[in-house]
Amino acid sequence: MKEAATVFIVDDDPSIRRSLERLVRSDGYQVQVFVSARQFLERADLKKPDCLVVDVRMPGQSGLDLQQVLETAGSTVPIIFITGHADGPLAEQALRAGAVELLAKPFDGEVLLAAVRRAIGRRS
Amino acid sequence: MTRIQLAASALAVSLGYYLGANLGLILRFPPATPSVMWPPNAILTATLLLVPPRRWWIYLLAALPAHLVAELGIIGEWPLVLGLFVTNCSEALIAAVLIRQFSDAPGRFDTLHRVVAFVVGGGILAPFLSSFLDAGLVASLRGESYGAVWRARFFSNVLTELSLVPAVAICVTTAPAWFRRASWRRQAEAVLLGVMLLGFGIVLFTTAGLAAIPGLPRSALPFLLPLLLWAAVRFGPGGANLGLLLTVLVAIWAVTHGHGPFVDLPPRESIPALQVLLSVIAIPLMCLAALIEERYRAEQALADRLRFEELLSRLSAAFVHLPSHEMDQAFETWLERLGESLSLNRLTLLRVVENGHDGQSVTVAHRWSAPDAPAVPESSAAAVSNGADWRRLLRDEPLPAPGKSDLVIPLVAAGRILGGLILDAVSVSQRPATARLPELRLVAEVFAGALARKETEDALRASEVMKSAILTSLNTGVAVLDREGRIIAMNDGWMRLTREEGALVDAGVDTNYLQVCRARAREGVPAAGDALAGTQEVLARSRPSFAFEYVAGAPPAERWFAMAVLPLNRPEGGAVVSQTDVTERKRAEADAQRNRQELAHFTRVSAMGELTASLAHELSQPLSGILTNAQAAQRFLNMTPPNLVELRDILGDIVDDNKRAAEVIHGLRDLLRKRELSREPIELNELIHDVVRILGSDAVIRNVTCTLELHPASLLVVGDRVQLQQVVLNLVLNAMEAMVDCNAADRTVVVRTDIELDAIHVAIQDAGPGLAEGAEQRIFEPFYTTKPAGMGMGLSIARSIIHAHGGLIWATRNAQRGATFHLALPATTSVPT
Repeated sequence: MKEAATVFIVDDDPSIRRSLERLVRSDGYQVQVFVSARQFLERADLKKPDCLVVDVRMPGQSGLDLQQVLETAGSTVPIIFITGHADGPLAEQALRAGAVELLAKPFDGEVLLAAVRRAIGRRS
Repeated sequence: MTRIQLAASALAVSLGYYLGANLGLILRFPPATPSVMWPPNAILTATLLLVPPRRWWIYLLAALPAHLVAELGIIGEWPLVLGLFVTNCSEALIAAVLIRQFSDAPGRFDTLHRVVAFVVGGGILAPFLSSFLDAGLVASLRGESYGAVWRARFFSNVLTELSLVPAVAICVTTAPAWFRRASWRRQAEAVLLGVMLLGFGIVLFTTAGLAAIPGLPRSALPFLLPLLLWAAVRFGPGGANLGLLLTVLVAIWAVTHGHGPFVDLPPRESIPALQVLLSVIAIPLMCLAALIEERYRAEQALADRLRFEELLSRLSAAFVHLPSHEMDQAFETWLERLGESLSLNRLTLLRVVENGHDGQSVTVAHRWSAPDAPAVPESSAAAVSNGADWRRLLRDEPLPAPGKSDLVIPLVAAGRILGGLILDAVSVSQRPATARLPELRLVAEVFAGALARKETEDALRASEVMKSAILTSLNTGVAVLDREGRIIAMNDGWMRLTREEGALVDAGVDTNYLQVCRARAREGVPAAGDALAGTQEVLARSRPSFAFEYVAGAPPAERWFAMAVLPLNRPEGGAVVSQTDVTERKRAEADAQRNRQELAHFTRVSAMGELTASLAHELSQPLSGILTNAQAAQRFLNMTPPNLVELRDILGDIVDDNKRAAEVIHGLRDLLRKRELSREPIELNELIHDVVRILGSDAVIRNVTCTLELHPASLLVVGDRVQLQQVVLNLVLNAMEAMVDCNAADRTVVVRTDIELDAIHVAIQDAGPGLAEGAEQRIFEPFYTTKPAGMGMGLSIARSIIHAHGGLIWATRNAQRGATFHLALPATTSVPT
């Protein structure tokens, strides 16, 4: 059996973090969760994830900050942003920087999973 | 009388005495001592009648040297000469005392009463009594017969007193003035009369032939009677007495020269006969002259009175229906007529004028002077011109002020002094004006009545002019209708509104307003129908008044009018229709309405926006969690076998998220506090300008003035524009509402901004009732309110917002009245990019 693709989730909200982990796991992916960008950068094996799901607005470094760090580090991992505010400039900025998708909370889980599959498919 | 005049008159008496004594000595039949006529006593008597008794001694003393000089040379006996002086003086004194006792005017002989007093006292009693002394003196010193001396002296002195005293008195007092003022014809007549008396007397007395005609009187005197009567009738007492004196002198001259009238009698007998005869003629002649004079005077007075009464009635008639604007001319005319007809020198009409708050003063309204009036000072008019206290001048009683040359009669009507009439105290005819007082009072009454009427009419006209001016100046159109609805009067405003602005209804005076309304209503003007119905009801008195507003013309040039119909308060009925252009007010109202709507919308939108943003943010987290968890659960359920462990965990999380969402909804107010602020640079002065502009129409409606005293520099803070706008709006609105019960003049909101170090200070000051003691803190607590319909949330939310901006909000009580709310916000110097 081919090793399942790995999805990393970064969100400060524990409820959303846990619900996302379950949803993505239910689709057969490996999931690792982080409470902040900093924890992610400290602990995650950056080679490992096939896809990142990141909350845009977090205490400390934001999702966009994280995207920039990864890009600087030469990572090509596809990123899906979730946000409380579906404001245009933010989405534009994120997508320009190479994000796969930007989803406004509350979002349809199926849409998220579709985005994850698309991201992983593109990567492989 | 000056000392020089006194001395001259005394010298004249002395000279007269001396000449009279010489004349008496000439007219004497030696060896008898008494003369036929003895003038000195009569001259003394006339003097004592004319001068006041306190000066009598001067003239008696002045006569003494004349007596001595005249008599010493002839008689040569000192005791007798001095004794005769005493008897002469006694006769004059007795005569003067008696006449003064009984006559009202001792020096005048122009009434019967005065003549009788003179004849009895001076003509008979004085010679009678003094002759006893004289006879006794002569009899004892000369040895002559007492009886003969008494008789000779008595008859001689009676004749002398009767003929000489009135003649001398008249010559000294009235004759010169008469002669000056008489026409040349009268002068000629008087001279002719004198010459005829003298000539006829001489001819008659010296012509013996007359006595030869049988049947004629043996005396020539009766032939002179017609001349004497002529003198009495034509020249009064003066003519009679002077004529008499001439006759007496001629007769005595004739007798003493041996001529008639009693040629056949020896002198001793003919002289007493002549004296008695002349005396008997003199008395009735004097009485006749006095009676004629009295009658002439009475006629004059009657004519004078009739003339005055006619003048007065014409004066009353002239003023009774005179319009007040012609009154000034009438006063001028009648002052002249009165002055001329009453022979006055000068007449001045004073008027009391009201000076508004100064009270009253007096001015010279009209003045008339006789063309030949002597220039005597007008002290009263001058006093008025010099601003003297006119109330002292115009007293109730017309009295000549002491030392004043004129007389002031007050013009009084209905107990009010309206003016005064000033006239010279001495008139042209030398008759004192005080004698005219009763007549002048009547004139003053007519003048006062006229002045009172003029005042009333002027006041009435002034009030009518004012009313008419007010009506004309009104912007409101006013038309007065009679009971049938016919327009009987209108002002300029009515014509302007109906002709130029299209108000109802363009109709002139005498047009029927109701008919025009009816016609317009048929044309399809709806307001005309309303106006017609309302006006008809008011005219019929079925409703007390009617008012409505209507629009005329098409947008955007339409105009609004307010019409009011009120009943006309008079027995004939009618109504007053007034119309005012209220377009400006209507437009302001519409603007205000629109602004209020905008304001409400703005507030609602901003509050909604804020709330929605917060809600969306706060609710999206749990909702996201719930949705994601639920979808994950579906997927776990679809697995075979279903992963029930995951399901339990998921359901637990969903419950937690639901609780979280419920908390959000329960704590809506907390949300407002907790929500995130947008952070952008805001210029506070600009923000305040925006708020004041938004509230502009609100301020107009509330009649509040907003005064901005803004710091000239740009005052930048970083924060949420909408929220800060809401705070300032809330505070300014509160300030306006606080002044709802203030005077319109006090309704001012002052908004000040200032910068101090790094804090920007905004102060919003009102002039309302202010804060209660100790309320400065409590007002910011939630649910604290002083407004009947308030929620008590405004200031609490404001405080939350300001605190969230790192600022402070507080309130102070003003020194005078009202409250000031202060905001302090941290200033930012650089604009974040």
